[in-house]
Amino acid sequence: MKLPSSLSNRFHFNFKLPGKTVRMIALLLLLGLSGYIYYLDVTIREAFEGRKFALPARVYGRALEVYPGLKLTREQFVEEFKSIGYHESPQPDDAATYKNTLNGIEFTTRDFVFGDGPQPLQHLRIEFADGKVSLLQLRGSNDADLPLLRMEPPLIGGIYPGHNEDRELVRISQVPKPLIDALIATEDRKFHTHWGIDPRGIARALYKTVTGQRIEGGSTLTQQLVKNFFLTSERTLTRKANEVLMALLLEMHYSKDEILETYLNEIFLGQDASRAIHGFGLGSYFYFDRPLDRLEPQQIATLVGMVKGPSVYDPRKHPELALKRRNVVLQVMVSQNVITQAQFLAARQKPLGVVQRAPAGTSPYPAFLQFVHRQLERDYREEDLRSEGLRIFTTLDPFVQHQAEKALASRLTAIERARKFAANTLEGAVVVSSTQNGEIQAMVGGRDARYAGYNRAIDAQRPIGSLAKPIVYLTALEDPQRYTLITPLDDSALVWSQPGTTDWKPQNYDHQFHGQVQLRTALALSFNVSTARLGIELGVEHILDKLPLYGIEQRPPPFASSLLGAFGLSPVEVAQLYQTFADGGFRTPLRAIRAIVTADGKPLQRYPLNVEPVAPPAPVYLLTAALQGVVREGTAQSLSNWLPAEMNVAGKTGTTDDLRDSWFAGYTGDRVAVVWVGFDDNKPTGLTGASGAMTVWGEMMKNIQPEPLEPAMPEEIEMVNVDPVSGLRYDEGCKAGVLLPFIKGSAPADKSPCGASSAEASGKAEAKPELKQDTKKKNWFQRLFD
Amino acid sequence: MKNRFAWFFVPAWLLLLAGCAGVATQPSTTPAPSGAQLPGEGAIIEPVPKSAMSGNKAVIALLDRAQTDNASGQREAAGASLERALRIEPRNPWLWLELAQVRLNQGQYAQAITLARKSNSFAGHQLRVQAENWQVIGKARVAQGDSAGAEQAFKLSAELAQQAKAEVDRGFIFNFQ
Repeated sequence: MKLPSSLSNRFHFNFKLPGKTVRMIALLLLLGLSGYIYYLDVTIREAFEGRKFALPARVYGRALEVYPGLKLTREQFVEEFKSIGYHESPQPDDAATYKNTLNGIEFTTRDFVFGDGPQPLQHLRIEFADGKVSLLQLRGSNDADLPLLRMEPPLIGGIYPGHNEDRELVRISQVPKPLIDALIATEDRKFHTHWGIDPRGIARALYKTVTGQRIEGGSTLTQQLVKNFFLTSERTLTRKANEVLMALLLEMHYSKDEILETYLNEIFLGQDASRAIHGFGLGSYFYFDRPLDRLEPQQIATLVGMVKGPSVYDPRKHPELALKRRNVVLQVMVSQNVITQAQFLAARQKPLGVVQRAPAGTSPYPAFLQFVHRQLERDYREEDLRSEGLRIFTTLDPFVQHQAEKALASRLTAIERARKFAANTLEGAVVVSSTQNGEIQAMVGGRDARYAGYNRAIDAQRPIGSLAKPIVYLTALEDPQRYTLITPLDDSALVWSQPGTTDWKPQNYDHQFHGQVQLRTALALSFNVSTARLGIELGVEHILDKLPLYGIEQRPPPFASSLLGAFGLSPVEVAQLYQTFADGGFRTPLRAIRAIVTADGKPLQRYPLNVEPVAPPAPVYLLTAALQGVVREGTAQSLSNWLPAEMNVAGKTGTTDDLRDSWFAGYTGDRVAVVWVGFDDNKPTGLTGASGAMTVWGEMMKNIQPEPLEPAMPEEIEMVNVDPVSGLRYDEGCKAGVLLPFIKGSAPADKSPCGASSAEASGKAEAKPELKQDTKKKNWFQRLFD
Repeated sequence: MKNRFAWFFVPAWLLLLAGCAGVATQPSTTPAPSGAQLPGEGAIIEPVPKSAMSGNKAVIALLDRAQTDNASGQREAAGASLERALRIEPRNPWLWLELAQVRLNQGQYAQAITLARKSNSFAGHQLRVQAENWQVIGKARVAQGDSAGAEQAFKLSAELAQQAKAEVDRGFIFNFQ
């Protein structure tokens, strides 16, 4: 490091004092000073180099793909515009503007760099009919149909450098000249000629301080930059001295343009909750929701005026002060010929024009962002995430997310009212993923979806109760020689003894035993005893061994009670489990990130779709049919209050001991969703899976409008018409039976004459199991619960 | 940058071509990564026009882009486009097949086999896509050193291709999805 010597040259002392001691002291002082200056130099250079590139990672939601035929209404599209910061404009030809027309919308997109390359600005027209996109065109001299448009993705959050600083990095070449000129004219007119300090300004400040007047600035831009690096409220002479020295040092190392560029990106311009707004690039978005190069003179003046005191002149909090200050700056601008007299007069008349709602800073979706952050932490160093300006493309679908948030909040409130719980005590969590690719579309970590604290969707490990049962039934159905959907199971009293534990005597929810029940009925009505017997017959260890296949990493204790879900999982783990059932036995790890791109647009990493076959498709098909039975005629029947029968939803309710946890996990043709409801302190809620979580699930799905579930039928499956009671086979033409799927070769061989059954068969169910109960034993009360 | 949008029009043009002249675009076929020729390998499967793969022009545009990227060695990009297409039509077996072919080219043999199986699970009675899936499975098995399994796959592929051809000859009208 060459600096100390060059510095000591600069501070060339030449004392002519007699005596060795004095010279020694002088030398020591000089050394000490050099050392100190060296220390300051290292500090300021580190700060300068470090801050120059400290860019937060930006996290984007999914980009909406628009094409003719897409289910999308005008209202939904306008919502999308809002989430990506488009403005309504009578002439929608600027980037990010739109105009409503008779049948649709005309709009102009922004330039945007996606994970797979840049997409330029486009002028477009969209029309809607019957809830769908009916036309998509490029507007121009010749309108041309467009098969597909990818909108810019909404920014859903950032991962900020230390102290939660946020900035939008700008190059000095991108900053409009009037802004630079106005800044220099207002703050530091000699910027281009001084050495980092303004001696007269310092002298004035010193004089005022010494004479007991208030301590004040007189800072150059360079000094202000130094001050911004080490933001403290301390105002002492020592600090001022350090600031002066550091400003001189900065000017020795860097050009004026480098200093100015860093200043433009570094200057503190306001606070947004816990996020600090740094630099004019972000300031421009934060106050005016537009890029720097689209600022008008009065907006430039407002921002420049804020440099003097970002909180005093905050245009949202103190509009009058901000307006006064703005006009002072405008006056300076016109006197320094930054703007013309005409521009000045026009600008003075204009209102502040600040956008009322600042673009979301810290994420509006904290639970999802937390999940993304955890996935990133596995692959990236924390400091890179916070400083390299990575752009992270995720899977979050704001529409689905809003439906999930809304349903959870409104249902919990309704339940609290109905059951006279104290308000805002009941909690919940929701996870929604897409069936075929495992992308997480929504995640709600609690009823206050904006609260960035305890994230129940990933951190609450609650016993899953009957949600575990499908694992037992799938294991059984994988052995078609022994088990089909109509195999009778034994639902009589059971005592399970295992050395080292007390005897376990499982009970059904209704505290009754049901004798012989068909397999599909035992699952539909969530009978504990027959399920436990089935599991013990199959082997507890054998079943639990399968959990890792379905993506469940933890190992429950090897007790039969584990088969009834006496172990905790988080909602996102349950979603992973049901994903495999929903996707025909293919496991796709749940993903929240699609791709990561560097600050300059180079693809860094993709998280491609990964699929693994973990369960044979035919038994999974049977399981899905049985889970559809749960909704059609089992414990989840009341889902029909929200979704029509044609949806053919497959699902399972889960309720734990003393009604502490209420769960529902289910899937449609395109989505898998899991809801948990309960108290954080684990007190009983009095809610079953059906009366709690399922109502949230139903409300949410009703608004999402999912695709009906029509699982692809594997080759090994055949549909056979059977007598629902005796389980004997009917002729195909017989109208009395129910049509049930069987793995080929496993359907009953013995035939029953058509119409001989005692069942009150009411026509054939198509391709889905229909549950005919021994009606004596089931009443409405039992059906409500598992 | 300036040609970024040219690809939007390519599929439309191809469709027109396929429709008018009956000239089908060749789905990207992949050379066997290694190993000797096995019976049934490379069985000629009649190319399917893209219009038969999907009725959605957005999907065709993405499929087209993926095939171009795949052919020029841009496998990651091809995979990304196919995933976009799959978000629009998650149960389209041709898209799963195409993704299986990309993974095969990337040397991800187990993944290629799984994706081809997944494609088959959505294939219903579409014999041609099944035939192509078994080709992919066969090639992946060759690369994995499972020549017996590969032979089986190629044989099945050839049979399916033949049945498909017979259906076309009988005037079977091809339906996508």
